[in-house]
Amino acid sequence: MAVDTTKNPIPFEMAQIPGPEMAKAYPVKVIGAIIKKAKRPLLVVGAELFDDPVMFDKAIEIAKAKNMTIAATAHTIKGFIERGYTTNVYQIGLHPLTNYLRFKDWKGLDGQGHYDVVIFMGIFYKFANAMFSALKHFNRDIKRVSIDRYYHVNADMTFGNLAFDSAGYHEAIDELIAILKK
Amino acid sequence: MAKLEGSFTVEDMKNVQINIGAVVKEEEEWDQPMGPFPKPQIATLRDWDFKILNRYRIFYAPADDTCTLCTFGPCDLTGNKRGACGIDMAGTCGKIVLVACLMGTCAHTAHGRHLYHWTLDKFGDMKFDMGTDILVTAPLTETIIGIRPKSLKDFGKALEYCEEQITQLLAATHTGQEGSYVDFESKALHAGMIDSLGKEICDMLQIVAYNMPRGDPNAPLVEIGMGTLDQNKAVLIAYGHNLAAGAEAMFYTETNNLWDKVDIGGVCCTAIDLTRIGEGMGEKKVPDMIGTKAKVAGAVGWWRKMVRAGIMDTVMVDEQCVWCDALKDCEERKIPLIATNDKILYGLKDRTNDPVDEIVDDLVNFRVPGVVILDPVKAGEVGVKTAIAVKPKRADIRNRIVLTEDEFKKLVSSCTKCNECAFVCPPHIRISNLMEEAAKGNLEPFSSTYEVCVGCGRCEQVCRQNIPILKMYEYANREYIRNQKFKMRAGRGPIRDTEIRAVGAPIVLGTIPGVIALVGCSNYPNGTKECYDIAKEFVDRGYIVVTTGCMAMDMSLYTDAEGKTIWEQYPGAFDGRNICNVGSCVANAHIHGAAIKVATIFAHRNHRANYDDIADYILSKVGACGIAWGAYSQKAASIATGVNRIGVPVVVQPHSVIYRRAFLGRADLPEDWMVIDARDGSKVRIEPAPEHMLYVAETKEEAMLMMAKLCFRPSDNSIGRMIKLTHYCDISMKYFGKLPDDWPVYVRHASELPLAWKDQMMKELEEKYGWKIDWKAKKIVEGPIRPADVSFDPTNIERKIRVRK
Ligand code: SF4
Ligand code: SF4
Ligand code: SF4
Repeated sequence: MAVDTTKNPIPFEMAQIPGPEMAKAYPVKVIGAIIKKAKRPLLVVGAELFDDPVMFDKAIEIAKAKNMTIAATAHTIKGFIERGYTTNVYQIGLHPLTNYLRFKDWKGLDGQGHYDVVIFMGIFYKFANAMFSALKHFNRDIKRVSIDRYYHVNADMTFGNLAFDSAGYHEAIDELIAILKK
Repeated sequence: MAKLEGSFTVEDMKNVQINIGAVVKEEEEWDQPMGPFPKPQIATLRDWDFKILNRYRIFYAPADDTCTLCTFGPCDLTGNKRGACGIDMAGTCGKIVLVACLMGTCAHTAHGRHLYHWTLDKFGDMKFDMGTDILVTAPLTETIIGIRPKSLKDFGKALEYCEEQITQLLAATHTGQEGSYVDFESKALHAGMIDSLGKEICDMLQIVAYNMPRGDPNAPLVEIGMGTLDQNKAVLIAYGHNLAAGAEAMFYTETNNLWDKVDIGGVCCTAIDLTRIGEGMGEKKVPDMIGTKAKVAGAVGWWRKMVRAGIMDTVMVDEQCVWCDALKDCEERKIPLIATNDKILYGLKDRTNDPVDEIVDDLVNFRVPGVVILDPVKAGEVGVKTAIAVKPKRADIRNRIVLTEDEFKKLVSSCTKCNECAFVCPPHIRISNLMEEAAKGNLEPFSSTYEVCVGCGRCEQVCRQNIPILKMYEYANREYIRNQKFKMRAGRGPIRDTEIRAVGAPIVLGTIPGVIALVGCSNYPNGTKECYDIAKEFVDRGYIVVTTGCMAMDMSLYTDAEGKTIWEQYPGAFDGRNICNVGSCVANAHIHGAAIKVATIFAHRNHRANYDDIADYILSKVGACGIAWGAYSQKAASIATGVNRIGVPVVVQPHSVIYRRAFLGRADLPEDWMVIDARDGSKVRIEPAPEHMLYVAETKEEAMLMMAKLCFRPSDNSIGRMIKLTHYCDISMKYFGKLPDDWPVYVRHASELPLAWKDQMMKELEEKYGWKIDWKAKKIVEGPIRPADVSFDPTNIERKIRVRK
């Protein structure tokens, strides 16, 4: 039985209630299908992965399954280097990255063009939330997907809160990987 | 109209020249002519602001999607929609940013206004004198107002100017006024500049009146930490940012020989300022070296932890950064509270005009939880007397405050692991895990997260089991608290002219890799330890590290292997491999001041009423970067914005995204990086240096890398650029495991390549980036954005062009 990722969809930081437009929590298979369908998705991973290092391996699997660029924010790149994964992964701060993402004339990390879907994972909640907000208001052409263990209010699509269910979260990510590989 | 004595009227002002002694004298004593912008109004420096804002794009991350500022609202602004009044989401964000900056600016300026009246009342007008080592005495006042103050009274003119600007700026935020987000940001930059001036006024007034150190690199080491407060004496805590009442408590204690009965400590910036009193070389109107008798209990973030540790007997609050429920905290623990400043009155009765003994009697017998006393002298006396008299009465309560082993165990086992607390905890501490471990007898998680916890108390509010989580922290860390005794360097005040002369050239040419300023509070998650780590990283690398306020306090709580605090590890001059504690938050002004002095003392620029020119010089040539790692208050917003207007980038901690706004450069757009060569007016494309103006970093590692990068300036000479690049690359290797991707952007000549990676880099430049290399001569023939040119004179201001090509 797959993990129910739609459960517990309340803001992880409880007072984080932005307004009329709030994210919807989706099952893995819907989020998986959206990522699979994306033309130029970007996986953005942050330094919380160091707290749960197995997530580095899972991030690599996700990226490989969809042949997707990884933006490693803060010093997250270190985790990828340690795993010998250095192709198609870029080191960039989340702040300048989001700044670039909001401009339609940006050419992307590899110079090959802009992105249509951004997928956040492992980024400090408050920071990720604010960067989702920037895109929500100032570049609505990009779909905002969170595959983090939190319910993310400013995403388009997110999981519910799995913050206290590590096993369930890992299972959800594995299911996502399986969908992308299919 | 009533005629004032000594006044005269001239009916027809045309062709009349009036020479008033003082004005003429001032002109004579200051060889600089009046610059173009004395007392700039909102729009005066708008051109300069737009130069910053065009290069560093305004970035908003709205904290909410609606506006509720007027009765048309709530308006849904999602997706940059417009509200009923016509403002869009970006405009609304700009407005909120301006309001936040104004809150900070008002706090500093109002503090200055209070000190102005109080110091003149108490001491009378005094000569404004910074001693023989500091001749550019009030750099911000001089640069912004165009006057050079001669006595404390002269700061009145500067204060009036600040107050007028604040009123005009605040008016612009009314519904139906400003609608352009760019202009809101220009106004915010103006507010930031006023903030810096307000701070200078505050600190200059108190330095002179209270005889604080005037740029003393060897300011004494003072005691800091909860464990320094002697529990055998009564403990009086002064809490806030305005030293007036706390200082009077010290004078009263000194005059009446009561130091064996009372210990006076401070929380937040009042603490830092109390430890500076009487340590200067000026007029001695206060007891000599009395400051070293005060103790710094801790920074603002430690308040709740301290109050729960049962350390204090009486609290005097003044203004700014005092928790709004300090009275409730105190009342629950029967700690009498005295409010001493009209900005915080807590609903208490004003007892300013009542006899001292009556007030003390009421407080000591707990008839009232607290009182207002707006006369600092009386407040000081009541504070000391109350603390001494109430101490024995509180003995029983003190014991009750602290948990017993049984109580602790019981509470630990009452946790249902519902995790409600973790949902509201800013640093996301998994409190239920701490409880679980504690139940097994392992208190380590309670210890290792003690300083990560910011003491906000949100967890306690939501816990359905009513577990007093902060008290549990206190219990688990009681030994640590008892032994929390460290040394901090007292605030030294401004930077000396001689220091600027020594470091001016190395800073501008880049051989001192940069000036790192750690300012503001560090009370947000991990701020405490991480500010020490950051300071240590840069001071070890030979940067000039300066710090103020709670940052200076918090970094004092850590020691090296030999048990030395950062103040004992390094000297306190404004020089490479030194760290100076400039003073409390208002002393931030001296960091602006130091940058101005590099322009005026080292480069001989006229700074008088010449703000944009000086800011342009700093942006182009002074490799400095500020960091506010955990700052929570609106003052942090105004401080950072003021620092930005004068051309210095700032890195902030992720919680600062709540301020909504950043200034970020786009390195991918060459047109954003065009400057003028002042020698001939030609346009030159520069490397993105500094790349950003206001930047949120996710981790301390990212912050350090970014700060090293933001110290790059177009004027670095080749040796300087090599040194800066070396640190940038080395920090990257150390924390990221690789060289930064953009290192080639900063290379203009082979001699700028860091020696450790030189050959590898040359190869990469050729193979990966297609640069032409002359391998025999080991030279770069083609590739860089521009060649190294030591006489290049970058500017962003047309009027600085010397000869047009
Ligand atoms: S100020 Fe404007 S946007 Fe805000 S509530 Fe009023 S009409 Fe709406
Ligand atoms: S008091 Fe400490 S543990 Fe509790 S919510 Fe605040 S930061 Fe978290
Ligand atoms: S809210 Fe209270 S009961 Fe629930 S996990 Fe936190 S401490 Fe335990």
